[in-house]
Amino acid sequence: MTEVIEKKKIKKISITIDGKSMMVSEGITILEAARKAGIYIPTLCYLDNLPHYGGCRLCMVEIKNSKGYQTACTTPVCQGMEIITKTADLQILRRDILELILSEHTFTCLICKDKNDCSEYMHSTRKVGVTTGCNFCTRNGDCELQDLVEYLELKDVRFPIAYRGLEPVKDNPFYELDYNLCVLCGRCVRICNEERNSGVLAFVQRGNATLVGTAFLESQKDAGCEYCGACVDVCPTGSIAEKMGSWVGCPDNSTITTCVLCPVGCKMNVNSKGNRIINVGPEPGKRTAPLQLCVRGKFVPGDIVHHPDRINKPLLKKENRWVEIAWDDAIRYIARNLEKYKGSQFGMIGSAQDSIENNYILQKFTRKVMKSNNVDLLFSYPGKNLLKKIHEYYNAFPPIGLNKIESADTIFVIGSQAYSSHPIVENRIRKAYKNGKQVVVAHTHNNRTADFSNLFVNFNPGKEYSFLSMLMAYISVVLKKRLPDSVRELLENSNQRKLERIGGFRMEEIEQFARTLVKSRKINIIVGEWILRSPESENSFNLLINISRLLGGLENNRVLFLLDEGNRYGGTLVGIHPDYFAGFARVHNRVDHNKWAGLWNTKLPHQKGLSANEMIKNISNDGIRALFVMGDMPPHKNLADLEFMVQQNMFLSQTSDYANIVLPLCSFTETEGHIIDVERSLKKFTPVIKPPGLARPAWATMQEIAEGMRQDGFGYKRANMILSEIKSVIDLSFSTAEFESKRLMSVNRTEHRKSNKFPVQVIIEPNHFHYMGNLLSALIPDMKAIREESVLFVSEKLLRDLTARDGEKVRLITTFGKKVFKVKIMSGLNGKAAYIKPTWDDLPLFSDGLSPERCVVNAKIEDVD
Amino acid sequence: MADSLNNLLSKYPQNDEGSLIPVLQQTQGLYGYISKEAIEKISSYLRVSRSTIFGVTSFYSQFRFNPPGRNSIKICLGTACHVQGGDFLLNALQLEIGIEPGQTTEDKRFDLTRVACLGCCALAPVMMVNNDIHSRMSVIKIREVLKKYE
Ligand code: SF4
Ligand code: SF4
Ligand code: SF4
Ligand code: FES
Ligand code: FES
Repeated sequence: MTEVIEKKKIKKISITIDGKSMMVSEGITILEAARKAGIYIPTLCYLDNLPHYGGCRLCMVEIKNSKGYQTACTTPVCQGMEIITKTADLQILRRDILELILSEHTFTCLICKDKNDCSEYMHSTRKVGVTTGCNFCTRNGDCELQDLVEYLELKDVRFPIAYRGLEPVKDNPFYELDYNLCVLCGRCVRICNEERNSGVLAFVQRGNATLVGTAFLESQKDAGCEYCGACVDVCPTGSIAEKMGSWVGCPDNSTITTCVLCPVGCKMNVNSKGNRIINVGPEPGKRTAPLQLCVRGKFVPGDIVHHPDRINKPLLKKENRWVEIAWDDAIRYIARNLEKYKGSQFGMIGSAQDSIENNYILQKFTRKVMKSNNVDLLFSYPGKNLLKKIHEYYNAFPPIGLNKIESADTIFVIGSQAYSSHPIVENRIRKAYKNGKQVVVAHTHNNRTADFSNLFVNFNPGKEYSFLSMLMAYISVVLKKRLPDSVRELLENSNQRKLERIGGFRMEEIEQFARTLVKSRKINIIVGEWILRSPESENSFNLLINISRLLGGLENNRVLFLLDEGNRYGGTLVGIHPDYFAGFARVHNRVDHNKWAGLWNTKLPHQKGLSANEMIKNISNDGIRALFVMGDMPPHKNLADLEFMVQQNMFLSQTSDYANIVLPLCSFTETEGHIIDVERSLKKFTPVIKPPGLARPAWATMQEIAEGMRQDGFGYKRANMILSEIKSVIDLSFSTAEFESKRLMSVNRTEHRKSNKFPVQVIIEPNHFHYMGNLLSALIPDMKAIREESVLFVSEKLLRDLTARDGEKVRLITTFGKKVFKVKIMSGLNGKAAYIKPTWDDLPLFSDGLSPERCVVNAKIEDVD
Repeated sequence: MADSLNNLLSKYPQNDEGSLIPVLQQTQGLYGYISKEAIEKISSYLRVSRSTIFGVTSFYSQFRFNPPGRNSIKICLGTACHVQGGDFLLNALQLEIGIEPGQTTEDKRFDLTRVACLGCCALAPVMMVNNDIHSRMSVIKIREVLKKYE
């Protein structure tokens, strides 16, 4: 019922602007009306979609029969209003304001009478490029002050210059700050607080000392900056200047595409010049309503695409050295070798950030050509059937759209750090909270989302299952419902104190949580990776469905699963999974097996497939002997025992050391394809520039290798044809289906035990900061600076047991090994918990496979002597 | 310190931006200044960002970020005092005690504030130490005046 948004009848009224009469909706502002009619009114502080502000007063207009002038951006239209936007008086007034603004801003570039001829006389006869002329701004040509000066025909500034003479901040990650150019329009402050709810920027000091700044003028990082880049995008001047693409001038092309770095699949605009990406951000002149992204979408694409280490030719390993070879020779070499490894000795590891087209071809190649079911995505979930369960649930109850997250009165967030994994989802959670919705959070520690919640419960790392069962028990108690046997047992057999100690929560807290949920009319449940990345994930899934059912039904409440990476769901859906063909058809079901064998006109393997983790663990003579890796992955030591390994990647990595041959790979800005986003809609990404050298997308490579192996069925000319093939066999428009019976789903129980030998629980953050398996922190220095990977964060309490102090080194010991880390205090961790963002190099400490089984590992921390 | 601030905060509703100014005033009343730690506490209690709190605090001249000294010096830069050379006075004083407005000397002997009009313009330029008005000040008189305050 609440889904139905009441369409209020919006009254139309008539107004005239500059003598033109028009009908507009009641309630909009004069500025909005004028823009709709294509009438320009100068603005500076105005931002679309944010609460009205009215700070700069450049948008003043004249309204007949009203005293003085009104700001167009804040004044709503009313019936019969007659508005005049341009008069001699208005122009003088606006010019005066602009002059005042410019008295604090360098204006040589704005009002020099030679500005148009400047570039012509700037040439020098020296051999190196030199900057002559007066323009020292990275935004030259895309500066709103330039536009204003032109519109207002400002010729001179009569006021004395009050240049601030501030030191520019050059050591800020991703963008530099030169507040000498700031006109205090407030846009950055407002976008950071009102749109992003990051609370980093504020106006500080008063009078003519006023500046944009942070608390005690500390660095933006210390002030909690999330580097979403929203402030960069809205700044009308050059005071916040992106490092990437500065000084290149204005783009000659702007392309709308989709970010594939997480399944939010943000729409992004990529500015390019020639065959180079300048940046991701608004088109020149469109800075008042930029698309909202996160640090990855905003700053990563250009940096990795034009990375100096990018490879653009096939590289063959000869006597431990890389030699460039021709593409065709590379294909022949690979085809010849792969012939030798058909069957279950071959494995394929794809990337969950790759398109459905590419992943479909990877699994088709593996099954049809290599006769193996060993195909998987990097860092697959420990619960092998989890995605299928989610798929079936979504078929009956499609995921809530991002903009509908707020539609419930309560948002229940569990095990999620969406602010780093799915920042735009976090954005909606914060907005819901700010708009008065109830946000309740349960997590392993007090994190940033908890700051936007009305209720927070901490459960011990790895104890999400206990938390959910207790929650369900209490909900049943509050609702006076009969408990399912498994849960009743849990309540009856165990003593509560013990449960509390193990779970890390108090029963009263759970009860309060349960009561809050029971009182809600409609709940949106947001489930993060701390639930999904666990061997108990399928049980937790069942519990969440049960909870949702108990609390008013599956139709009413919706569960949104925050799967990681751009296309994990899409990739798995098109069959890159050891157990499933496309559409989650079972490999070991005879009917499905025959259907696909028929479709592909071939015999398909019957042998059970291995997950990526299992493949790596099974590298041996009678296990996996040849591996194809699309993108990068952690350099696991077992790879050394492979007989043959092919990698297709954008860079040479540590993993490449084990490869026999490495092919150059296209990024998502150089090719086309589709992902399926968190809302389960198909999203297209398009080429922005041409790929460098011989780099190709996965499908094109596999097709040539297949042809090299004299196999048919791979004659695709464009990625498009692959999509048609996928669409001909599975339903990508997701018509709905029935979900399992009304009965509560049963839950089995496994245990994650605490051990005395390893008393500390280290929370392991799943790493979302990679592209196609390439660790972003290893490629982009600024990313390394903000990520603080490979640092062991501990509670203050835990550090007290050690002699090491904040910032010093400690040794971390797990069942898998030991390693020395820098230690840092982090607030929000309780008791014996620690926290780490591991790099690929740290992973062997947490798992003997490719990645940890769950988001926690038992460990011991000791001093380094 | 923490306890009295907690006490103070508990009188205000949690997560309420509206209480920011009264909370800041009371905090300053309690400690004489607004410390970094206090801003942190207030920030998490009221859920207002530290930057915003700093912004507000630095906007109003009534708030200071340093503990007050034993003696408080106020230099008037109101219109009359300004015309009579108030800023020369300020500059000289800054050199003399080595701090800028808003700061406190290391030995805690003085803190320094600039104000706009102390209401005795006829006596400009004016400097106030604790509750004493020093009228018709000049740069050479500074040392003499400061001697009286330990
Ligand atoms: S990058 Fe984002 S979080 Fe950081 S200051 Fe700018 S808007 Fe705020
Ligand atoms: S930094 Fe840019 S956006 Fe922010 S106030 Fe200054 S001019 Fe406006
Ligand atoms: S939220 Fe996800 S899709 Fe959007 S910009 Fe960030 S990584 Fe890309
Ligand atoms: S744009 Fe209207 S006041 Fe700034
Ligand atoms: S201006 Fe200094 S006392 Fe009035």
